[in-house]
Amino acid sequence: MSQPSKEVRDIYGDYATLTVPPEELRSTLNVFMVYMGVLAVVAAIFAGSGLAQMYDPATTIKVALIGNTMLAVFGGLIAYIGGSTRANTYLLLRYPLGRIGAMIGSLVVSALPLIIWFAVETWLFGITVNVIYPGHPLTSIAAASAWGGILMMLTAYYGFRAIALLSYITVPFWYALIVIGFFGAVDISGGFSALWAARPEHIAPLGVGITYVFGLYASGCVITSDVARYGVKRWSGSIAWGAHVLIFMTVLLFTGAAMTILTGSPNVIVAIAKIGLGVGALLLAILGQWTTNDNNLWSASLAWINIVGKLNKRQWVIIIGVIGTAIAAIWGGVYGMSLDPFIAFGTFLGYFIPPVGATLIADYYIISRYLLKRQYRFGPGTKYGVINVPGIISIIAGGLAGWGATTFGLRLPTGVGTFDAIIVSFLLYLVLAVIMYKTTGKIEVGEWVEKPTGF
Amino acid sequence: MSVEVTRIKKFAEMSIVIMLILGIITLALAPATGHYRGFYLSVFLGSVIVVVSIVYLPIVHMKKSENIKEVAVPAMQSLWVSTSMGLGYVVTALAPYFQITFPIAVILFIVGWIMLLYGTYALLRLSKEAKVPLAV
Repeated sequence: MSQPSKEVRDIYGDYATLTVPPEELRSTLNVFMVYMGVLAVVAAIFAGSGLAQMYDPATTIKVALIGNTMLAVFGGLIAYIGGSTRANTYLLLRYPLGRIGAMIGSLVVSALPLIIWFAVETWLFGITVNVIYPGHPLTSIAAASAWGGILMMLTAYYGFRAIALLSYITVPFWYALIVIGFFGAVDISGGFSALWAARPEHIAPLGVGITYVFGLYASGCVITSDVARYGVKRWSGSIAWGAHVLIFMTVLLFTGAAMTILTGSPNVIVAIAKIGLGVGALLLAILGQWTTNDNNLWSASLAWINIVGKLNKRQWVIIIGVIGTAIAAIWGGVYGMSLDPFIAFGTFLGYFIPPVGATLIADYYIISRYLLKRQYRFGPGTKYGVINVPGIISIIAGGLAGWGATTFGLRLPTGVGTFDAIIVSFLLYLVLAVIMYKTTGKIEVGEWVEKPTGF
Repeated sequence: MSVEVTRIKKFAEMSIVIMLILGIITLALAPATGHYRGFYLSVFLGSVIVVVSIVYLPIVHMKKSENIKEVAVPAMQSLWVSTSMGLGYVVTALAPYFQITFPIAVILFIVGWIMLLYGTYALLRLSKEAKVPLAV
């Protein structure tokens, strides 16, 4: 592993194209807190509402625990790679996919999906504001999406210290608020007996729920290195990731499900309003949404820098923010159309994200270690292949397999789309890499030399 | 230990103790809230503040390092949680659901503001003096 020398300038910010220097490393608890901040989103509670429509409370816990255990293992393995190499996702992908392949991988993992999720979150922001303050022109879904998107874009662009501080302070209480909301819902809706007695008309098969839970955060697993690279120990990110997913994700899903069951509202914001927790609590929920979308913008801009190598993070924030806000306000707000086509496209891209992680795991733990006898190194002058052929084939095949299994019922090893995608791409990468290496002596084509900027 | 590190360590310890005292005050007010919902709210938020402060105070106190960051980081983690719970009192003390008697609700609201403002000041000061980013 190479560290950037003092002469190497971090011109893009946040070590977007460099490894993290030793003086920037942080404790395991610190890494854990950052993961917790990322998880503190209203969307996680909304996801629990989805489970409530499929299962009774006991099965919800079982499904959430199984799905989250798998997320902990998958994400933990990838986080360890980030902790060992000090590199972010987009740098790591230069090995299993090649330099140009990493650009394609970045496009699939973050650059495109995050624009879509920014638009969707902005649209949800508009809906939330409309629910809380209905009947005013400025709080229509279109108007609220527009000014909300612009505010999110501006706070991300300028990095307003006050907003950053407020969102930072909000995170621990946000978790407390969820616990309070849960007990409040239990309190006003007939107690725990009412909760445990609730069950939907039809209980879905366990596999459906496990896929749902795994699919919620499988993409998040692939980018765990972005945080884990700061961990003081190699395993800091893995431990922090595992603990936060296994414990807190399970709690969030269950409380979201419980609040939906008890209040009858699939919208957690409406549920909090129904319980009577006050406008302040609702505003905090909005703030959680706001800061998550800030992160979407920042992460997307990080990916675009690694793809294009031009413009800085702030310029990308504006470009992505304008596109996302336009989708939310015009498509979703003015024309009142569902964002389902965008969500469908984001979901389709989502099938290809876990295979990227599977290919990275296969390359780092097996192919690089035992077949190619190479270590992941980064820094000016480092040579990468332009395209890692088995890597590209594996993510395409894995993604299509997952899509086929879920959409067309294609019969694959587990019958669970996301797992099948991971298994197919993992095994295919191993097989293709061994065959190609034995026949040609290498698995990559072309050569790319890293520039002093890390690009 | 240098004068600079000692000064920051003292400030960090004092800040955690202030939060601990305010947390104990909110716990003490719990029985006077007048409704079981307000009682549980005060016990929950107050306990988080007290437990976090009690856990972190010896951690900060026993640090003998010359590295100012090693003192500032745990102190900021403790203050982060306490300040956040202070914010919690600000937004929930007067909420209708909890049915807290008005005088006690006002006191909790004020204590919450004190925690929020002092915690914010302490976090910013530690962050600035120790050159540690806020997201610790």
